[in-house]
Amino acid sequence: MSERPWLLGASALLVIALIALPLAIQGFWLYSLGLCFANGLGVLAVTFLVRYAGEVSIGHSFFVAAGAYTVAIADRSFGLSALVSVWPAIALGVLLGIGFAFPSRKLSGIYLAVTTMALALALPELILQAGPWTGGFEGLYVSRELLPGVPKPLQQYYFALAALVVATAMLGRFRQSRQGLALLTARSHPAAAEAFGVGRDWARVSAMGISGGLGAASGAALAFTSSTVSPNSFTLWTSIFLLVGSVVSVYGLTLGRALLGGAFVTLVPQLLAGSGDWIPILYGVALLAVILAGHYLPRWRAAGRSAS
Amino acid sequence: MSFNLLRTGGDLLSLIWAGTVAGCLYALGALGLVMIFKCSRVVNFSHGNVAGLAAFLVYGFSTGSLLQLSWGSAVLLALVIIVALAALTYALIAPLIFESELTSTIATLGIGLIAQGIIQLLFGADIVSMDLPIPNWHMTMLGQRITSYDLTILAATGVIVTGLFLVIDKTRLGIAFRAVSANPFAAEICGLSLRSVHVFAWVVAAALGVTAALLIVPTTFLSSTTVSSFMLQAFAAAVVGGFSSLPGTVLGGIVVGILVNLFSFYVSPEFSNTFLLCVILVTLNIFPNGLLERGTGSRV
Repeated sequence: MSERPWLLGASALLVIALIALPLAIQGFWLYSLGLCFANGLGVLAVTFLVRYAGEVSIGHSFFVAAGAYTVAIADRSFGLSALVSVWPAIALGVLLGIGFAFPSRKLSGIYLAVTTMALALALPELILQAGPWTGGFEGLYVSRELLPGVPKPLQQYYFALAALVVATAMLGRFRQSRQGLALLTARSHPAAAEAFGVGRDWARVSAMGISGGLGAASGAALAFTSSTVSPNSFTLWTSIFLLVGSVVSVYGLTLGRALLGGAFVTLVPQLLAGSGDWIPILYGVALLAVILAGHYLPRWRAAGRSAS
Repeated sequence: MSFNLLRTGGDLLSLIWAGTVAGCLYALGALGLVMIFKCSRVVNFSHGNVAGLAAFLVYGFSTGSLLQLSWGSAVLLALVIIVALAALTYALIAPLIFESELTSTIATLGIGLIAQGIIQLLFGADIVSMDLPIPNWHMTMLGQRITSYDLTILAATGVIVTGLFLVIDKTRLGIAFRAVSANPFAAEICGLSLRSVHVFAWVVAAALGVTAALLIVPTTFLSSTTVSSFMLQAFAAAVVGGFSSLPGTVLGGIVVGILVNLFSFYVSPEFSNTFLLCVILVTLNIFPNGLLERGTGSRV
């Protein structure tokens, strides 16, 4: 971040604008923006894996669900507010990430993608079978307030915003840290990283752990912001949409990019609520358009440069 | 006691029989995935959605909701459309394939989303039943009920697999396919066109997908998610087979079919996807190159 001071400034301005925004909007849009922040975190989780491990996941609904259900169960069974239960939720996400990464640490590329798909497909039946805990089909409600006296919509908005801002700030620091550089080295120069004592397996397991933690944080924010948790929100499509959001935000880990991805995942279905059948088509076209643009744009620019 | 044993034996036999029949379907679905992966290193996540679209097209063309055709011509028309779609898909993502296999794999998810959207747009939440035009007949052998549908699946799989292997073993195109799969760079230097081999694989895969979809639908109802929900089994079959061996894939399909059936019956029918996840993880850790190939180095 030290190399790009303007980015820090722009992010700070964006944060101030977002903090002030509830003065101008309320109701439905406030709620939708809260969901944008929460989904932005989920998009960050997928992006983190792409950027730091070079792997694609279509199973991140698993970690999101883990975070969401932790918050919901803590709310119902132990009377804990989301402010408290978000920490065990993140810890669980990290553990699950490591737990999933360990048996799949030797897999890469498409093999990991297929395995994450199986993970996403296994998730709904696991949730349904844990009915006494998860509420089965009907799901759970998250009702406990964080700060008595503050209107609930504001609590939900600021909780999700805070989670997203803290996560992006930490990711910015992480890029400069020893660990972050070690992971990036392990990704782009595995042999060199090995020589410095950063093993591939270790790099994979820790990247997946952090990504799982981010996913769980997204789930925790999602559960509190939307007040409900149900198995319908954690299907294979959820995971694919998170990947679409990650691609549409061009794999960015900054606050602005996370917002873009989160907004794409959240607002498109809401704006198209009347004609829901167009949503998959729109997502598919957007996905292809961004990928093809990423392929052709540099070439066109290069061609334009050499022509002029 | 002996009666119980006999009954358990009968159960086991019929589970294995049903698993084999279902496994042939998984193998047909997986063969398409493997054909594409073998030569172009892309995992085609749109396979199930496009095959589902094919099944709906056949339904639409043969029942009058889109056209009023006989079953045979409906299948032919759907096949032409899906094959054209496969070629178009390939043309769209071909430039990506030579850049990054992971990017092109993500792109196939986009194609899958579009195919799923088209199904929902054209047919909505329809749930219909669609049978094969075969005589309804069954016989009993060794206490095992064998229906004409079972035999159709086995025969169709046998014919398709034999045909495919003959093409790949004997024809020039098949030799080119094997050359490109083994070493694309060397194949290109020898004057083979990677793209035409890729198009061959994508088109054959699409046709296999259509066949698998038509054979799958009579076992259940046809809804917008029926065929794509078979994809996990197909992927598991491909993984068990090593993802780049065609005979391994057929074996993998049958193994997965039998294992899933046994698991559903003896343990729990509610955890079949979780079971498949475990099968995939265990296979990839113990047999990284599939059941038929061992010890040729790990694929990491």
